[in-house]
Amino acid sequence: MRSLILLVFLFYSSLSLAAEYAVVMANNSSVSALDESHIRDIFLRRRNFDGDVKLIPVNLVGEDPARVSFERYVLQMDREQLNKYWVGNHFQGISPPTTQSSLPSVKVFIGRVSGAIGYVPLGMVDESLKVLYEF
Amino acid sequence: MTRAAVIFGLLILCQSPSALAQDAPYQLGLGLKVTDGFTLGGYFSTEFIINDDQSEMILDDVAVLAYGSLNERFSYLVELESIDAVEMDFNNGTTKTNFPPTIERLYGDYKFSDFLSVRFGKQITPIGYWNLQPINVLRETSSNPRYSREMFPKFLSGVDLYGYTPFDNSLSYHVYLQGSKDIDEDNINIETRNHVGFSLEKRLGRNWQIGGSTGKFTETDDTRTNYYQLNSRYDGSRYSIFSEAIFNQQDIPGRGTVESKAFYLQSEYHFSAKHALITRAEYFNEEKFDLQDKIAVIGYSYRPRYPISLKVEYQWHTDSRDNQLVSSFSVLF
Repeated sequence: MRSLILLVFLFYSSLSLAAEYAVVMANNSSVSALDESHIRDIFLRRRNFDGDVKLIPVNLVGEDPARVSFERYVLQMDREQLNKYWVGNHFQGISPPTTQSSLPSVKVFIGRVSGAIGYVPLGMVDESLKVLYEF
Repeated sequence: MTRAAVIFGLLILCQSPSALAQDAPYQLGLGLKVTDGFTLGGYFSTEFIINDDQSEMILDDVAVLAYGSLNERFSYLVELESIDAVEMDFNNGTTKTNFPPTIERLYGDYKFSDFLSVRFGKQITPIGYWNLQPINVLRETSSNPRYSREMFPKFLSGVDLYGYTPFDNSLSYHVYLQGSKDIDEDNINIETRNHVGFSLEKRLGRNWQIGGSTGKFTETDDTRTNYYQLNSRYDGSRYSIFSEAIFNQQDIPGRGTVESKAFYLQSEYHFSAKHALITRAEYFNEEKFDLQDKIAVIGYSYRPRYPISLKVEYQWHTDSRDNQLVSSFSVLF
């Protein structure tokens, strides 16, 4: 009985921990893998390159659930912390990543702009995209 | 000043709107992004000071800044600032104005990679934390520690090579060099003719940072200074604590070698996103001009929105005649 309870617990835990989103680039990109801290640095504009490739992070506008999850699990910052961070960087001449209004437009942007990197639900990933990280 | 105005004009004329980006509408504190190559911003701050000798209000910073990327590797920043634009002394009823702006910063950046970039022009000297965020609205106190005002040149007119080290992603460096006079000497704390230095900054996890700088500079009176500086900070969700210390060895013509030291420790408790309580302790011992002070500061910061800052603080000095109340209001656009 104890083993059964443990199995049920592990099953539901794995469901709640399953990744919903992916950090992606175009499938023809030369970038093969990025770890979480590198992705965080790219979206905080602390780093700009992977090898010779200039990386262009793209965010969703507003409170889209994908952006909220990305900020919580990858950037590990809330909106107040991010606002403070970007206000300080504005004085240093650094702007937040460019934005797109919807997930389909993020996908189009990544397909058309060399070096673009964004995040989409795993269900939107197809052969045009390369998954670099899941969260 | 005329050169800076021409640069501003050329930058505006050279821009073309980016085709695919759908940038968010203007947000206070983040500037107005016209194109990828041109973001326009600015800030101002006012201070109200009361002590035994004076009661005055100062519009002490009025500035405009523009920056952007001209291609994927080259970017620029221009900042023009009027210092102490208006000073109203309530004790003797006088008002002074100083509107002509100075070139606060004027530089280009070329990024070879994350490991090597070069910044050339007039820029903030990359020493410690306080010096890199020198404007009122970005700080939680109206006043600066004396450490940041009198121990090293705040600005560098020269070249800074910087980046992350290839062997450690959390370790960054700066190597900086100045070999001539400042681009605009109206607003600098120390007049130098040469300055060379090196700094390292290490991130320890998500909350801790530690770093240091060393370098040497020669002033226009031929005083030669070697400096050794250390800094550390912790930023938690509610508490921040940071500290910087510097030790200077100075060879003064006709006097020999003297040693100066300065230190500050500041703590901030953010009991909400809008309200913070600040304490700061300072030690300052400058031998060249025989200046000594110990300072304690307690302050309160209120930000209705982050780029809008209202602050009040009280300072206790070794000489109680220097004790004063300082309040300020500042906004970043």
